[in-house]
Amino acid sequence: MEVEVKAEAKEDARSTVRAIDRDGLERLLGLLREEGYRTIGPTVRDGAIVYDEIESVRDLPAGWKDEQAPGRYRLVRRPDDALFGHVVGPISWKAFLFRPRETLTAAARGEGGALEFRRAPFEPERAAFIGVRSCDLAAIAVQDTVFTGGPYVEPRYAALRRAAFIVAVNCLESGALCFCASMGTGPRARRGFDLALTEIEGRFTVEAGSDAGRRLLERLGAEEARAEDAARVEEGTARCAASMAKRMDPAGLPELLLGNLDHPRWDEVAARCLACANCTMVCPTCFCSTVEETSDLTGSSAGRVRVWGSCFTEEHGKVHGGSYRPEIKDRYRQWLTHKLASWVPQFGTSGCVGCGRCIAWCPVGIDITEEVAAIRASPGPVPDVQGLPLAPVPSPLPAPRAPAASSVEEDLVPRPAAVTAAVRETPDTVTLHVRPPQGFSFRPGQFNMLSLPGVGEVPISISGWDGTAVEHTIRAVGPVTRQLAALRPGQELGMRGPYGSSWPVDEAKGCPAWVVAGGLGLAPLRPLVRELIGRPEDFPEVRLIGGSRTPGDILFVREILGWIGRRNLQTHLTVDRAGPDWRGSIGVVTQLLDDASIEGVYFVCGPEIMMRFAVRRILEAGVPPQRVYVSMERNMKCAAGFCGCCQYGPLFVCKDGPVFRYDSVAYLFERSGF
Amino acid sequence: MTASPTSSSVPASDSEAPVRKPRLGVFKFASCDGCQLSLLDLEDELLAVAGAIDIAYFPEARTAMLPGPYDLSLVEGSISSPEQLEQVQEVRRQSRFLVTIGACATAGGIQALRNWADSAEYLRAVYARPEYIRTLETSTPIAAHVRVDFELRGCPISKEQLLEVITAFAVGRRPNVKDESVCLECKRRGTVCVVVARGMPCLGPVTHAGCGALCPAYDRGCYGCFGPRERANTGSLAGRFREGGAGEPELVRLFRGFTGYAEAFRKESEAHEPQ
Repeated sequence: MEVEVKAEAKEDARSTVRAIDRDGLERLLGLLREEGYRTIGPTVRDGAIVYDEIESVRDLPAGWKDEQAPGRYRLVRRPDDALFGHVVGPISWKAFLFRPRETLTAAARGEGGALEFRRAPFEPERAAFIGVRSCDLAAIAVQDTVFTGGPYVEPRYAALRRAAFIVAVNCLESGALCFCASMGTGPRARRGFDLALTEIEGRFTVEAGSDAGRRLLERLGAEEARAEDAARVEEGTARCAASMAKRMDPAGLPELLLGNLDHPRWDEVAARCLACANCTMVCPTCFCSTVEETSDLTGSSAGRVRVWGSCFTEEHGKVHGGSYRPEIKDRYRQWLTHKLASWVPQFGTSGCVGCGRCIAWCPVGIDITEEVAAIRASPGPVPDVQGLPLAPVPSPLPAPRAPAASSVEEDLVPRPAAVTAAVRETPDTVTLHVRPPQGFSFRPGQFNMLSLPGVGEVPISISGWDGTAVEHTIRAVGPVTRQLAALRPGQELGMRGPYGSSWPVDEAKGCPAWVVAGGLGLAPLRPLVRELIGRPEDFPEVRLIGGSRTPGDILFVREILGWIGRRNLQTHLTVDRAGPDWRGSIGVVTQLLDDASIEGVYFVCGPEIMMRFAVRRILEAGVPPQRVYVSMERNMKCAAGFCGCCQYGPLFVCKDGPVFRYDSVAYLFERSGF
Repeated sequence: MTASPTSSSVPASDSEAPVRKPRLGVFKFASCDGCQLSLLDLEDELLAVAGAIDIAYFPEARTAMLPGPYDLSLVEGSISSPEQLEQVQEVRRQSRFLVTIGACATAGGIQALRNWADSAEYLRAVYARPEYIRTLETSTPIAAHVRVDFELRGCPISKEQLLEVITAFAVGRRPNVKDESVCLECKRRGTVCVVVARGMPCLGPVTHAGCGALCPAYDRGCYGCFGPRERANTGSLAGRFREGGAGEPELVRLFRGFTGYAEAFRKESEAHEPQ
């Protein structure tokens, strides 16, 4: 999927510079509409310049200028009647590409309970964006990477993006909150457009940046621009850049911010921050979303709807049992470190294009450039950036991080899958055996998204394969898991997957393999244990350490008893509390790690607090962090890296994880709030 | 206040139970009836609702009052009189899943303004024969008296959200009722911020979403009808309005509206009272 084709064809097109007047612009809009584009551009509404459908040059904000300050935006009259004499307003182009509300899937329950899932109908409208500023061209390029850069491609965004025609406008006047010059994104539009306009004294120079743009320019039949007009474009944009009062020094931002996670400035900004999410809504690159489950009263017809979400909401960081980012400080720090630091390893660019929207539209006027400057002015005592994954995260695991060229469309549509058996493990935990859709295969450590129409969708790790069906061990804790755990053989659920990275089994070849599980954490480790003990020649020494609350909570008891006598496996179980007939250990799993082997490879999964203590003990024994693997849990809506909810520093738990080599998460692992 | 709505959950429908429609009870305490009437306002969906659930007790809609227990109870209104203290306990006893609806039931309502005043003095001022009136000193939310399984905010509640709560109960999902700021609703629908572009005081940033950002869409600031959202940073917002010229009495009035007795708003308004 290539959406970034326009940029390439760009440079050689500079030769064609035409000149048009206002009538020419009217003709241009007419041609676009004739070609089937809905023309969207700046227009005055509700005291601001917003992007909306325009039918004519008359709809453009002639003679208006936007005065902006932190938390303040006012329209004022200009001395002239310039059409583009403003900068950017509260709406960004993402509203037309990554739309605020999009129905993803529809599901129905037919006769006998058979499930049917389909992708919701989607008609990509052809839209021409008129007046895209250079900062916003950069923002569109950023979202192109987010949604189409792989390994998965978001099909709705990609379709809207391919259908869009972009008419850029060069900025000759800077707004008070603009800092595109420092971010290297403007004010001169250099790539990523079909046509670019520059408004000079009531006339426009037009240059083409793509074949589609050149064709339209030909149809327009405009005269060649004079050489001095072309020169004035360069001079004007350069003057604009030089006049830009707001600045942000982008140098070393990832190291600066991730190296100062405990800076007192986070508390100061949190006292002002409303966590209202306005900054993320107006940001042209912010891409987080959440999903709403909808249905009729009987649940027989249901759907899933994606809506704009935000890391400033509690829901964003929420899993069963609580939120990973309960405090406003956690949320602001998440936003700023993501935007300016984690974004770099994730997508190869900063997430900030210097448009200034988040400053203007913050009700209390928090200024991103001031926050960065404050931390830069007094960085923490010794910012320890060692071990921070600041370069694009290398993938030591067999994760599905394929290059963009081999990206796959992920439309998030589940397929029906029938339960073949339901085995009760503990009073609240059941293992479902589910016959997966054809062609399904997985690696130990991966997960599926399981769903019930009208009820919801949850990520569930794969706990095994019984020869014909995939096993999922589910604890009934919320509405979805309760209903999944109540399914009986023959009933259907929705399944999509598998997703995520897997336990790198072969890393442990010839070494002691230690499998450390806490509670339900044994589920994603079971297929690993099965593989390890099934290959005694490769894994001569496997140790399984499992902790549970009580003996009654131990999963897979029958299977574990069946493993007794395997010559390459030692099993040690411990419980928090037990009756007198319990013959295993009592206490936390860490006590069973006292003789942790320095040559061992460790696979750890359980509640985060248990993993912290376990990993600490393993490292204290002298095991290098590169030989320790952990499996993380975070909120997950899409499992394909689009929704942003599962971010853990620069990592997406869904596509970079859930299994991580410990050194890649070490610097966040001991912290809360991420 | 009780736990936030999103932390409660709807019990899964019990597949063992015989198939029968869930029984609904609709109760009211001190309130204007507007929220329970949202149920009748559902018009297009009302037949489907009546088909999916058994409306057993709803004085506004049917003459027969069937006794409990009820699978789902919708409770409107605040606790304002001594009798209501008893009645609410009985409603709780008869209810498997109790949902409070509206600003009165979830925050004490506009009548909670008396919590800052001398109610005896009010009685003398308003009623010719105050001795006939039996009332409590305060108007308090239902959750101050009994366990509440889910709170649906609003003054009045949104009928779409009410339908969602009933549907979620029937199907067994967590209701899609987001505890987030009104700002997200403004931005999703493309409404221009009235604080930033107009300089109006607006409680949207600290108010629980659900109304669909109605007031800002009509060029007015949010009145906070849905009450405070989680982590409502009211102090910072009040500071912003003060910088914009709002005086202390105005700030008291701003936070002391339909949901003024909800904790975050109550504390903020009290912080701006004369010492």
